[in-house]
Amino acid sequence: MPISEDHVGRSYPATAPYQVSRAKIAEFAEALGDGDNPAYAGDDPIAPPTFAVVLSSAAWDAMFADPELELSLSRTVHVDQRFAWQRPLRSGDEVSATLTIEKVRARGATAIITIAVHLSTTTGEALCTATSTLMHTMGEAA
Amino acid sequence: MSALTGVEVGQRLPGFSRTFTRADLVRYAGASGDFNPIHWSNSAAAALGLPDVIAHGMLTMGTALRVVTDWAGDPARVRSYSVRFTKPVVVPEDGGTVVTFAGTVTKLADGFASVSVEALCDGVLVLGAVTAEVELG
Repeated sequence: MPISEDHVGRSYPATAPYQVSRAKIAEFAEALGDGDNPAYAGDDPIAPPTFAVVLSSAAWDAMFADPELELSLSRTVHVDQRFAWQRPLRSGDEVSATLTIEKVRARGATAIITIAVHLSTTTGEALCTATSTLMHTMGEAA
Repeated sequence: MSALTGVEVGQRLPGFSRTFTRADLVRYAGASGDFNPIHWSNSAAAALGLPDVIAHGMLTMGTALRVVTDWAGDPARVRSYSVRFTKPVVVPEDGGTVVTFAGTVTKLADGFASVSVEALCDGVLVLGAVTAEVELG
């Protein structure tokens, strides 16, 4: 059966450890048009705050791959997004992300899904929580 | 970092305009890992009933935060940031689309400033309920 209130509380295994690198920070800052910000350059840069999406979107994959939920990224609209940081991500951090389904409101073919992705270092230091509301529409029955 | 001083509720933060082109969307797709084809394929966008390819909401969100980080100096001051994606930013193949960003301090409490950011495209707000919490100390 597709995603429903019954799936609230479901969590997925942590993503494989990801090492934040100076090169990736520079690439991401450049993509934001912020390549000149000195905080994102040098030997020990921090990542732009929304760099957390690199990790959180990787965590989404496990949920979208869960056959029980019958979700498809192509039928998903990102409604809202929140980040709360304990500290900035830095080059050298080894980070993994864990996704939990926090809330589901299903009505007909449409489900409003709230997910929380917790980012932490591989040594257990909490870094960031990325909370998203998604609107998903079920496809036509085959 | 030295404290941010002289901050007042209602203070306007300097804004900027950015033209988003298809090349910018491709660059952000690679940087972020979000390769949803609605951000680069005309036919994928059309299949969803969109008028054209749209920018990643997260690209608009991340760009909007530059209003806050440029003002705050150190991006590490930003402790939370939230937006609603109210309207897609449509990016035609020729010329791209201009989005204009500006900010306002909305609240001061407990050593934090709350900042709201406007993101306007063709006179319409493309982000809603934008709030960044910035540590002042």
